[in-house]
Amino acid sequence: MLTSAQSIVRYEFRDGTVFPDRLTRAADRHYLRAARSMLSVYRRGGGETRQSLHRRVDAIVDRLGDCPPRRAAAFCKLLDDRSSYRTARGQASSLRRRVFRSAAKLHPVVESPTSMFETTRDAARTHVAKSIGKSWPEIEAELFADVIELQTLLSFDAEDTFGPAELLAAYNVGQTQAALYRATRMTVWAREDLKTIARHAKLAGLMHRITRHETTDPQAMTDPHPGVAGRVATYRFELDGPASAIRHTWRYGVRFATLLPMLLACRGWRLMADVLGPGPHGKRDRTYRLELSSEDGLRGPHQRPDDYDSELERQLVDGWEQATPPGWTMTRESELLFRDQSVLTPDFVLRHDDRPRDPVYVELVGFWTPEYLQEKGAKLRQFRDDRWVIVVPPKARDQIPKGLAILELKSKFDPAELARLAAEQLDRPPR
Amino acid sequence: MPDPVTLVFHEGTLRLTGISPAAIRRVFSEAEQAAWFRDDREDSFRGDAFRYTELAPPLQERLSPPADDHVFPSNAGQHASDRIAFGDASPKRLRDDQRRACDAWVDAGRRGVIVMPTGTGKTVVALELIRQAACSTLIVVPIRDLMYQWHARLLEETGVDAGIIGDGVHRVSPISVTTYDSAAIHMPRLGNRFRMIVFDEVHHLPGPWRSEAARMSAAPWRLGLTATPSSDPSKWGEVESLVGPVVYRDTIGQARGKTLAEYRVRRVPVPLTASERRRYRELSEIVRGFVAERRRDDPSFRWDQIFTLATEDAAARRCLRASRLKKRIEERASGKLRVLEDLFRLHAGQSVLVFVGSNAMAREVSIRFLVPCLLSHCGKRERADLLNGFADGTYPVLVANRVLDEGVDLPTVKVAIVLGGTASGRQAIQRLGRVLRKGSGREATLYEVVTDQTGEVGRSRTRRRNEAYRR
Repeated sequence: MLTSAQSIVRYEFRDGTVFPDRLTRAADRHYLRAARSMLSVYRRGGGETRQSLHRRVDAIVDRLGDCPPRRAAAFCKLLDDRSSYRTARGQASSLRRRVFRSAAKLHPVVESPTSMFETTRDAARTHVAKSIGKSWPEIEAELFADVIELQTLLSFDAEDTFGPAELLAAYNVGQTQAALYRATRMTVWAREDLKTIARHAKLAGLMHRITRHETTDPQAMTDPHPGVAGRVATYRFELDGPASAIRHTWRYGVRFATLLPMLLACRGWRLMADVLGPGPHGKRDRTYRLELSSEDGLRGPHQRPDDYDSELERQLVDGWEQATPPGWTMTRESELLFRDQSVLTPDFVLRHDDRPRDPVYVELVGFWTPEYLQEKGAKLRQFRDDRWVIVVPPKARDQIPKGLAILELKSKFDPAELARLAAEQLDRPPR
Repeated sequence: MPDPVTLVFHEGTLRLTGISPAAIRRVFSEAEQAAWFRDDREDSFRGDAFRYTELAPPLQERLSPPADDHVFPSNAGQHASDRIAFGDASPKRLRDDQRRACDAWVDAGRRGVIVMPTGTGKTVVALELIRQAACSTLIVVPIRDLMYQWHARLLEETGVDAGIIGDGVHRVSPISVTTYDSAAIHMPRLGNRFRMIVFDEVHHLPGPWRSEAARMSAAPWRLGLTATPSSDPSKWGEVESLVGPVVYRDTIGQARGKTLAEYRVRRVPVPLTASERRRYRELSEIVRGFVAERRRDDPSFRWDQIFTLATEDAAARRCLRASRLKKRIEERASGKLRVLEDLFRLHAGQSVLVFVGSNAMAREVSIRFLVPCLLSHCGKRERADLLNGFADGTYPVLVANRVLDEGVDLPTVKVAIVLGGTASGRQAIQRLGRVLRKGSGREATLYEVVTDQTGEVGRSRTRRRNEAYRR
């Protein structure tokens, strides 16, 4: 990740928006060429100091004529993040100790000797080199080898597939992340990959406020959602942290930034972040809007989450498709249940054509360590007022909270049996 | 049965659950109510941890049954007690002014700031107050060197091997030392583990980020120490609300001559060489030209806007680079090393401390004179070796960048040389503090080596206007 010192953002004072710096392949073609040269500097730079690698990168981007220092520093950071350097910890520090102790009695080391102080620089160096047993040039090269800018490159660790376009993509993501460091709140609207978004928001340590909206307008979000005819559920995740209830704080900015790469791997979302920027009195106290969506072409490092969590899930989908019970529609991970800070994404949602507003949720409990079953049971208990059919392997039945319909998977999955249990749920009075 | 009213510490905030808005209005005064914020994300109220001592008592006194207070783990009986036993470390003999400072803080309800000049034993006062409080205590300091120094002092004076939080170490003990930055990062998890919190050099606390080190701590007992309270009322107001008001004040003027050594300041101007001067003029011209042109378009143009401009404007980038090169010439003028050589000759046999404005300059001096430099990359052991070696005379000279600016103990230094660096009243005082330590006889001297005919002379004047420099 970049640091704030490498962040470049443009504030639009008129309409209160903020744009992180972004290099596009069309308008910034010359950066692709520069990126290729930078990568080759690092790929061939073994043994060079960080300082000298950075100078080479500076020289490359200097020729472009439009590269500000922060952008150059950002490239160096992104390349350094993929590099291993020799830290020389310990060796350099013990060499210093020996050198300075050995030279202490020669102090002051002078340029031109007088009768009183006769140790010249050269004489002092010779004396020190002799007492250490290394030549002076060797000593000088090693003396501060642990200082960050003087560390030498051991290897550039990016895969061969990491080319100029990938470097620019990493730059663009890095700048957007850095802009989020000063965000006080982030709102995400999503229709797909709800589970991934909810889970990673939680992993990032964020708190949420979720609302669900239904729309029949296919333009409301991109990518029409399969499943329920004409009706699309969109979830709004308002994300921030505990102290956000008390004041605007960018304390959770880094958490938004860590969530971003995962979000970029998802489909069908857009986000709006409140970012603190310069106000009229020179303080960072005005809120600007940062907007982004899955259609903006920002490319993250992660793959889209796997289509199926488990083989069991795939079996269920295949079985359902081969023998879909009439009148029923099944969608996968298309709804999110939430209560306070608990969230559950049912694996499937069943709806009958006659009662499209009454979903029956299907949860697969396929993996059964005791801890997993216990946690799952507790989660389901929180949402037991909804209509459920739980699909379990034979042994796991006991852990499922009482009162929930259970479909035991004995040998082959039978869609008709699932539909029958779901219909029973529809018939029972709502809790 | 409804859930009991419960107060917990949650990630640097107080979270109150099981209570209705009506009950909030009944239990709390209007001012206190304003400290509680409805949190609809999980049906609770939230308040700042630092207001714990103000917000917790009404929940005990005016609610029936009283609220469950789980803010500190020991409240819930998870630990029998968090009293700290300091062994038989005997209380140190305090000077009268130190004793008065201690009493003033205790009388003020163990909350507030003690203002004492550098070199008058603020640390001694804090150690005594920590010893008296005998409870879990977190000490927050500006830089890592000070963290290790506090650790050593605690060990020496109380026998406690304190925890370290920062510099890649995360060892939390009932008595721990940390830096402002680490405290701001970790306070959401540490804020209810210490009953007392000490902010050394508390003028560093204000600001949206660092202040979280205090805001997210529920510690009832709060002590701030400084030699130089900020003159900016909004900044100082933040310190007062988060730590408490000034409860004791002794200024450098009162202390001079009594507890501090006498000192004098010598300014040594260094002319630039002909080629340096030529280059310097060229660069100045670039800067001046750019600023003048900008001001023609926009009379309100300020220098700091150049950083934004530089992202789009090649001329701004050129100007920025010229300005950096100018500073570099000022700081690293070749004449300075000659002056330094002369001063080393003059003070041969004495310990000399050299302050420089950059790590690169520190290394240059270090390599040229074969004397050690203390930089931020030095590990704990090397720092200790350098500081001890310098104190016992093994190393005649120690070169330091800003790492040594504040509070690091170098007890017997009589000669300090400032080479480059930027001027500010506080920095000047703190740096001066290094050579003002009371030692055996003899006046202390501070040399300021500045390049002539450049911006540095102006900065030195600014520095000298400060009270600490007045003769």
